[in-house]
Amino acid sequence: MRVKIEVIAAPGCKQCAGAQYELRAMATSVLGEENLDWREVNVLEELDYAVALGVLTMPAIAVNGELMCSALPTPAQFRELLTTFRSC
Amino acid sequence: MYTIGKVAGLAAITTDTLRYYEKEGLIRPASKTAAGYRQYNDDALRRIRFIKQAQHCGFSLSDIRELLTLKTSDGACCEDVRGMAIQKKLRIAHKLRALQTMSSALDNLIASCDGGEMPIDDCAILDTLENSLQKVS
Repeated sequence: MRVKIEVIAAPGCKQCAGAQYELRAMATSVLGEENLDWREVNVLEELDYAVALGVLTMPAIAVNGELMCSALPTPAQFRELLTTFRSC
Repeated sequence: MYTIGKVAGLAAITTDTLRYYEKEGLIRPASKTAAGYRQYNDDALRRIRFIKQAQHCGFSLSDIRELLTLKTSDGACCEDVRGMAIQKKLRIAHKLRALQTMSSALDNLIASCDGGEMPIDDCAILDTLENSLQKVS
């Protein structure tokens, strides 16, 4: 089962960029490239979409169209979250 | 130096508002006279105008306190302030969405009633609200 992960962030945010790189690497490692649908959402370009997801703070993470993290998860938290979807 | 009345007048706020800003830790008088009267300088005036402008953009006093801290923080950069502005915009967009939902609900209520001099017991709007309440409960 493919898992769609969206990281909603502001362009130019160094904290977000660094975190996105690490989180994507972890998602690929846990789910496998073939099961991962990764998307980086520019909050300024897709503000309505971010609002519909319920994003109030950034960076935020949505999994399969549902807001899961409204702040950056620790690597351990993110791994745990991914493991839940891997077993679906 | 300006008295509290003078600086409030120049910034187009009331003295009560200025005292409130002071109570919230957003501003401090530059000095006090021997008699204990507050005295403000041009920096204070600029700061008050900054606070007013930020409020105009939707920032709360708590946000403004953070902005003022960032303003004087060596480790802060533009991105920190930009991030705050984007998050504020997100919150406003959420509120707008909620207001649009309310507006649509009101459109439906208005459309359900032709007005006129029908007895209040036959009011379609009240009836709809009452039935909605029953559904909720």
